[in-house]
Amino acid sequence: MKNIFKNIYNYRELLKTNIKKEIRGKYKHSFLGVLWSFLNPLLQLAVYAIIFPLILKDAQENYVIFLCVALIPWTFFSTVVTQSAAVIINNSNIIKKVYFPREILPISVVTSATVNFLISTIIILFFILFYRAGFSWYIVFYPFILLIQYLLSLGISFLISSLTVYLRDLEHLIGVAIMMLFYATPIAYSSDSIPGEFQFIMRLNPMAYIIDAYRDIFYYQTMPELKSLGILLIITIALVVIGYIVFNKLQKGFAEEL
Amino acid sequence: MSTNSDVAIEVDHVYKTFNVFYDKTNTIKEKLLFWNRSKKEVREILNDINLEIKKGEVVGLIGVNGSGKSTLLKLMTKIIYPNKGKIETYGKLTSLLELGAGFHPDFSGRENIYFNASIFGLTRKEIDKRLDQIIEFSELEGFIDNPVRTYSSGMYMRLAFSVAINVDAEILLVDEILSVGDQHFQEKCFQKIEQLKEEGKTIVIVTHSMNSVTRFCTRAVWLHEGRIKMDGNVKEITDTYIKETA
Repeated sequence: MKNIFKNIYNYRELLKTNIKKEIRGKYKHSFLGVLWSFLNPLLQLAVYAIIFPLILKDAQENYVIFLCVALIPWTFFSTVVTQSAAVIINNSNIIKKVYFPREILPISVVTSATVNFLISTIIILFFILFYRAGFSWYIVFYPFILLIQYLLSLGISFLISSLTVYLRDLEHLIGVAIMMLFYATPIAYSSDSIPGEFQFIMRLNPMAYIIDAYRDIFYYQTMPELKSLGILLIITIALVVIGYIVFNKLQKGFAEEL
Repeated sequence: MSTNSDVAIEVDHVYKTFNVFYDKTNTIKEKLLFWNRSKKEVREILNDINLEIKKGEVVGLIGVNGSGKSTLLKLMTKIIYPNKGKIETYGKLTSLLELGAGFHPDFSGRENIYFNASIFGLTRKEIDKRLDQIIEFSELEGFIDNPVRTYSSGMYMRLAFSVAINVDAEILLVDEILSVGDQHFQEKCFQKIEQLKEEGKTIVIVTHSMNSVTRFCTRAVWLHEGRIKMDGNVKEITDTYIKETA
């Protein structure tokens, strides 16, 4: 246990350069560069903010804020999942040649996405200011919700990144799964607008709790459901442990399988 | 399992097999449909290897092609893992297996030094401290800020070797790369290895050149068809080896 952290700590420089590369390298050859971290979610937000009020019968007031407090954490989540599926395969050339703690790769995927998410949070704050919706002190729960989402992402990243090496179809399956999960998560609509017989989907979907919590603190300006968040925290910690064990078992065959 | 502090590498009853697939099933569909149909051949690479390398020893691993030398080296670096048995290494380890792993062609030589050295587990401070030394050793002062893609293959190898050799590892694994660059640079590499040997580093060299073995090594290990055929005195083993394989 202590060894795991010591090993990662010893390779902290590699972790740092990897995270930087991931953030900067993404937009390296594009004209607008890092500005795309803002433009991408903004354009996506614009599309949804125009379309969904047209389809939904009773759109929420301040729909843009309602949508963006959910869409931006969702983008964080879906980026982690899609990038995790490719990260080991994309780095196969170094995996086959040198030793370094392989868990550096999923950790840097999740961490760089977290940095991007922190930057995108400015968009949320901007819209709240723009529409003069105001802030409440419940915002102090933001780091706590982020921590849960970080752990959830890390656990999933460990599992997906290592499993895809052995089951290459997973990479394609994940695109569809993410799309389905988008509609099964209260992003474009609120969680209580779901009919009773489908509520179980919300209760089984960890992202639903996280999105609801963000929405509670930014949009409804109420106390997030601390009890369910607490349970979720314990579940995500367990997920990280299981994910790490699976990853560690499977990483031994990476060099041969790639 | 000995925990002697003078042991650097411990190879304990190690077996390694490779599965050679004729047609590999990699998709879920194929795995479900043909789960028992994929033709594979299990090839034994290493068979019950036991080896204890002490600190400060310079070991020459010799053997014909396909005898498992490189596989054993890869196992020691933890790029691959044994099917059975255990390998322990004590101390910071660097391998000069595949030089220039992770070099990015668009980045400059200097940036690649940072990136490559970080793969070897160095921190930024440690790299800063060694930077001049690495550049000097590579003799690439005039090109160090050019992108690596503009380098000739010799320059590329020189840079890669300079990073790896200056990492300050306690254990150094070298695979047949003493043929880096021209005569002059090769001689320099030899001298560097001599120097590291005098500093008491543990070195394992895989090579076909009996000259290098007799020049550097304090011990020779002869691998044949995945087993250790001879282990010990350099002179005796290289002589027998040359006689038998000639």
